Amino acid sequence: MATLYYLILVPMVYIAFAVFLLGTAIKLVKLYKAPKHPSTLQIFPEQNPKWLWALYDTFLLPTVRKHNPLLWVFLMIFHICLVLLIIGHIELFRDFSIFQAVPHTIFLGKGLVGLFLSVSLLFFLFRRFVSPNRELSVPEDYYLLILLFLTVLFGSQMDWARAWYEYGEMGVEDYREYLMSLLYLKPDVPANVLFAGHSFMLVVHVFFANLFLMSFPFSKIMHSFLALPMNKLRRG
Amino acid sequence: MDEKTRNELLQLFQGKLNRAMRFYLETCSRCGVCTKACHVHESMPHVKYIAAYRAEIVRRIYKKYFRSQGKLWSSLGQSKELSEMALEELYEAAYSCTGCRRCMVYCPFGIDTQMIMSIAKLLLIGASTEPEILSMLADMSIEKGRSIDVLKEGFLTGIKNLEAEVVKKWKIEAGETAIPIDVKGAKLLYVALAGAHSIIPAAAVFNAAGENWTLSFFEAVNFGAFVGDPTRTRLILDRIVNEAKILEVKEVCICECGTAFRVMKQMAGKQPFEVSSVTEVHARYLREGRIKLDKSKFEGAVTYHDPCQIARNGGVMDEPRYILDRLTEDYREMAPDPRYNWCCGGGGGLVALGEETLDFRMKSAKVKADQIKSTRATILATACENCHTQLDNLNEHYNLGVEVKFLTSMVADALVRH
Repeated sequence: MATLYYLILVPMVYIAFAVFLLGTAIKLVKLYKAPKHPSTLQIFPEQNPKWLWALYDTFLLPTVRKHNPLLWVFLMIFHICLVLLIIGHIELFRDFSIFQAVPHTIFLGKGLVGLFLSVSLLFFLFRRFVSPNRELSVPEDYYLLILLFLTVLFGSQMDWARAWYEYGEMGVEDYREYLMSLLYLKPDVPANVLFAGHSFMLVVHVFFANLFLMSFPFSKIMHSFLALPMNKLRRG
Repeated sequence: MDEKTRNELLQLFQGKLNRAMRFYLETCSRCGVCTKACHVHESMPHVKYIAAYRAEIVRRIYKKYFRSQGKLWSSLGQSKELSEMALEELYEAAYSCTGCRRCMVYCPFGIDTQMIMSIAKLLLIGASTEPEILSMLADMSIEKGRSIDVLKEGFLTGIKNLEAEVVKKWKIEAGETAIPIDVKGAKLLYVALAGAHSIIPAAAVFNAAGENWTLSFFEAVNFGAFVGDPTRTRLILDRIVNEAKILEVKEVCICECGTAFRVMKQMAGKQPFEVSSVTEVHARYLREGRIKLDKSKFEGAVTYHDPCQIARNGGVMDEPRYILDRLTEDYREMAPDPRYNWCCGGGGGLVALGEETLDFRMKSAKVKADQIKSTRATILATACENCHTQLDNLNEHYNLGVEVKFLTSMVADALVRH
């Protein structure tokens, strides 16, 4: 079992990151190498400055707010929580004073971030069971949502264990040791990470996260990079 | 479908994959926010009429042949082989979409379904399964450009016969020409449609404003754009661009034709002349005090249908309202925000297909008919030939009890001497 854990926590992580980084870079280069559309694709009336409105469209999703307010609430919660979780994971490498401007214990949100994220993902999943979203959906939509849900659920359980049940066996220092060893290409999985009571949660979390990262460049999740340029096209 | 045909079609597909198109094809999250955007879906609620579903028909073929996902794990995105059956689906998707781009206002990413449908239309041309009549009309326009010298005389005679009608609307000074043609150095080149209704009122207004203008030999409509053929669109467009350059005009004014305006305005590229719609030009004359209108000319409430290609996609929204403000005391908006105005249901070549599409056009534009009815106006003005024909059909089909009028005709009929 320890070997399997090691394979997921070390080689698979490297492979996942390589696929994610290279795949995304190659995809973006390919997209940007394609010739520009010869004419404007904008929608009128125009508002200036266009780039500012494109940012507004990208980050505040006004069209969704107007036409599907409930979806908008969950989308906003989801994306804000996602950013907070990314910050949390960066803080697992080392302390950053900028993030500690609001003093907190790692992760931010006392476990609530993961909870909100899980609920949002369930909402996104279940709304696809209802027509017409059911007919619009393709397997990729379910696959990505289930993958993200499992990643978030198992990741959050570790956070909940520490934040809510004072489970201290596997703490930030252990993760930090593990992650820094990966970063410096001298992989070392501390015993606490490998053999703690809920090590399997970490392993399952990392396993699903790896799958998600490897799917990223080949899926609609590329909208993370494309939403802004596309909204700019609409704004002119 | 044999391998050779498929490869040829995929070459055409590849040719359409510019950066914006790739963005659109990579990104849709199928969130369904566009469900309520399409007038066809709102009038006939069927999933196949949702913008995201239409686009997915093209996207599935894209995934199969142009995306690693389709090659690595084909079923994940339900990627689809390009086959005869796929072509039938593409036909239905493309020719039930009017290209109004209302869905673009809803989409959180701003995906342009009209542009995605242009792939479907091009593949249909490649497979020779496009609507024959549109293709034929596009070819005729191109042929006219090639044989203009032969056709000139007949055209000039035809125009001469219209001059008396122009003078009836607006008297000109002795020695002036009611419809000037081929005037080198004229300030404005007016590109009309084939039909007196597109020439007479516009000519009267130009004369009333004292414009130094000339009429184009060519009709504005671009059937190449309707049928989705970029090469023929360009050839049809270039006839007018070349004429404008030869005559050294400063402005090309497009008549009431949405597609013609958008194609000329956005696709002509950088040229030594400005492009404007006749509505913009009329609003300008009013602002500059070059023409004056009689506000009591039309009785009853007036509403205005924003042609999608001129308003949402072309940016001409304030000008028609400025004109209508000087034509009536009782103007009624159709939609609180012109961006959300429903398409008339006749765009994308559907009106040009005539009787063949009539039943679909009437059923799919029920929301438009309801929108018109709710204004309780008696005059329905618009500034696009396609929209006018479709609105006339709707008026008859749904007993709307309105008089459908071209905005240019209203301006010409209400002209008064200073």
